[in-house]
Amino acid sequence: MTTPGPDLQTLQRDVEALARSQGLDFPEIVYEVVDHNQLNEIAALGGFPVRYPHWRFGMEFDRLIKGHAYGLQRIYELVVNTRPVVAYLLSQNSPVEQKLVMAHVCGHADFFAHNAWFSHTDPNMMDVLASHGARIRVLSDQVGMEKVEDFIDRVQSLDNLVDPGAMDRARGRPGNAPPLEPFVGERDILGQLLHSAPLDEWQHEVLAMMRDEAYYFLPQMLTKIMNEGWASFWHSRLMTTSLLRDAEVVDYADQHSGAMGGDDGPMNPYKLGIELFGAIFHAHGGGQAGLEKVTEVRAVHNDLTFVDNFLTDEFCVRHRLGGTPEECAAAKEGLMASLTNGGQPVIRILGADGELELEHCWNGQELQMDAAEETLRNVAALWQRPVRLQTRLDNRALLLSCVDGEVGREYGELLGDGEGAPSDEPAA
Amino acid sequence: MTSEGGRIARDRRRFEEIVRGQIKRDLKRYVTGSEMIGRRGRQLVSIPVPRIELPRLRYGKNGKGQGKGEGEGQGDGAAGEADSVGAAGSEPGQHLLEVELRLEEMAAILGEELELPNIQPRGRARVEVTSRKYTSVSRQGPSSLRHMRRTIKETLKRQIGDKSYDPDDPRFIPIADDLRYRSFRDVSTPDHAAMILYMMDVSGSMGREQKEIVRLVSFWIDTWLRSQYRSLETRYMVHDAAAKEVDQDTFYRLRESGGTKISSAYELAAEMLETQFPTSEWNVYLFHFSDGDNWSGRDTEKCLQLLTDKLLPGVNMFCYGQVKSAYGSGQFMKDVDASLSDESNVISCEILDREGILPAIKTFLGKGL
Repeated sequence: MTTPGPDLQTLQRDVEALARSQGLDFPEIVYEVVDHNQLNEIAALGGFPVRYPHWRFGMEFDRLIKGHAYGLQRIYELVVNTRPVVAYLLSQNSPVEQKLVMAHVCGHADFFAHNAWFSHTDPNMMDVLASHGARIRVLSDQVGMEKVEDFIDRVQSLDNLVDPGAMDRARGRPGNAPPLEPFVGERDILGQLLHSAPLDEWQHEVLAMMRDEAYYFLPQMLTKIMNEGWASFWHSRLMTTSLLRDAEVVDYADQHSGAMGGDDGPMNPYKLGIELFGAIFHAHGGGQAGLEKVTEVRAVHNDLTFVDNFLTDEFCVRHRLGGTPEECAAAKEGLMASLTNGGQPVIRILGADGELELEHCWNGQELQMDAAEETLRNVAALWQRPVRLQTRLDNRALLLSCVDGEVGREYGELLGDGEGAPSDEPAA
Repeated sequence: MTSEGGRIARDRRRFEEIVRGQIKRDLKRYVTGSEMIGRRGRQLVSIPVPRIELPRLRYGKNGKGQGKGEGEGQGDGAAGEADSVGAAGSEPGQHLLEVELRLEEMAAILGEELELPNIQPRGRARVEVTSRKYTSVSRQGPSSLRHMRRTIKETLKRQIGDKSYDPDDPRFIPIADDLRYRSFRDVSTPDHAAMILYMMDVSGSMGREQKEIVRLVSFWIDTWLRSQYRSLETRYMVHDAAAKEVDQDTFYRLRESGGTKISSAYELAAEMLETQFPTSEWNVYLFHFSDGDNWSGRDTEKCLQLLTDKLLPGVNMFCYGQVKSAYGSGQFMKDVDASLSDESNVISCEILDREGILPAIKTFLGKGL
């Protein structure tokens, strides 16, 4: 890992000056130049070389380098939401690729700084994660590596059980997670465990750190299309209006279309995002008015509301998501279902008095049952008292419970067509 | 990178420890079971490892019944997997995810578990090993390797040539002739040459189980040596009263009957080395398996003579594995041990049954010759 040489520094200065002159507003960006292995390593660690030790990062690294060796995938750029923003450049990239990455990173940095869903994240995340890492190493030495590892395994399996609606309560406070007082968020199961599970002191400490990291990473899951779309909208704009030299056009076009293409077709988040921003830009007459509108949109929306508000029938037809209005509606509905709560089932807390009662808010999709049972076991291991989860399976109400490590299923009556509002789900 | 290099390496080691721990627990099953035989190094071996998958509350398809992972039921899994599937039904805590390993990685784990030393190749690096590097450009290729820049350049050249190019309205329309693709070139690097010769007694006294044991030992030795040498010649020979070279398939299947003249095999081996694999240029590994019954004491003397004079001086290793059979006297190993125990490159080992396979591999390969 090295700092950029004079050529890259000059390039960075030029790209950033141009980006700012066109209206992007981003904090300082620090680049590190790395090779493939280093980039894969940092990617496996979620962008943070300083992260706590865990075998799962090693597994991800193994997967990435195998994917790279077989030519299946290649990471071009990696940018981390911290202050200053840290981004990584591959040393093997050609100059035009570096230019493209820098233009793209300006977009991400602007997005991190201005999108409302990121307003609660801790600016010094590199330091926060470094101190988490150091602390977990110390705890591993004190209570035993395998004990801490097992505990982290369990918590990681619950780290999607957080409350996106509670994020704004974390704003203006140290760390990323919302406070547990005066109340725990309705869907903040990690918070509930932290608040009232009878944990050892070290477990409490580890859980608090894991929960904080979960709330840090949460907005990235909720804004993938927007974040990539915004960065792509800007790299495209900056590259094609000013930055490209004639000799670089073909290579740039090749790279750009490579990132926008792929098996997902129009559902590729880069592609969908850049096209939606482009459509908004043009719908407002392009030029300054168009820029003002997209800049406003990037500040207030998340993927779900972004698609809901701006994916029109016309857009659908144009990008072949559907032909008829019915097809378009179906395509949009499917897309929005996959974006609701970041594509994760919504689980809320019904009661935490002794037993922990949870409800899977029904939206027509069943849980993966074997994984659900296993997850419930992990919740119960932390809660140390009975845990129950109301859900549905095969058109029946189902109460999953975990008592003393034993998982049981209790089916309720048949529920007709399997549709229904989550609130009137009968308890089994 | 200062600390980072070691940083992920530790996580990865821990991950591998978990996977390897699982494999090591089941190592005997993999080594003494027959299902790995016939696989080649590049092929992937699926190892079911509990706890690798992160259970989460997520949407899913609940297929038939328990919704257990589908991988385990498939045909080429290891023996004993049926147990894990059975257990999964009654005990949902057993989350199985398969980790895919190449056979070489398996060999590395075998080597680690048996504490096999790495082999130091001798002699000059003579063999050319080729690998592919994508450094050239060709006119044919798959569209995933299309070289845009070169393609457009060809288009431009052609369009300027036939005057269809208009600088004020540049349009590039590539035709089939313009397309260019990234293409590979074979790059050769020298490597050490190594050959293994497996010799097996197929006389009447060697039963099915004995041959199966030989087959398993040979397979794992082969896999290990392949992980040590990038190019490896493997030859097979069977003998009863006469020896002949056979292909791999025959080696593993053949059942002959008749008397045993071990010297016939050693004579043929000596001839092979002389004509095809001079030991000045090759790392040679000789493995001989029999039940220890030889035709006569005189023939055994001849064998020892052949070993001392012709075979042992040049080869890396001569290994004699004696498989216990109902009829074998086991005399040959005693004779070998008695007269050749001073030779540093002779290793003998008795294999009583399948339990003896792992120790035998360790005995043979534990010296790193």
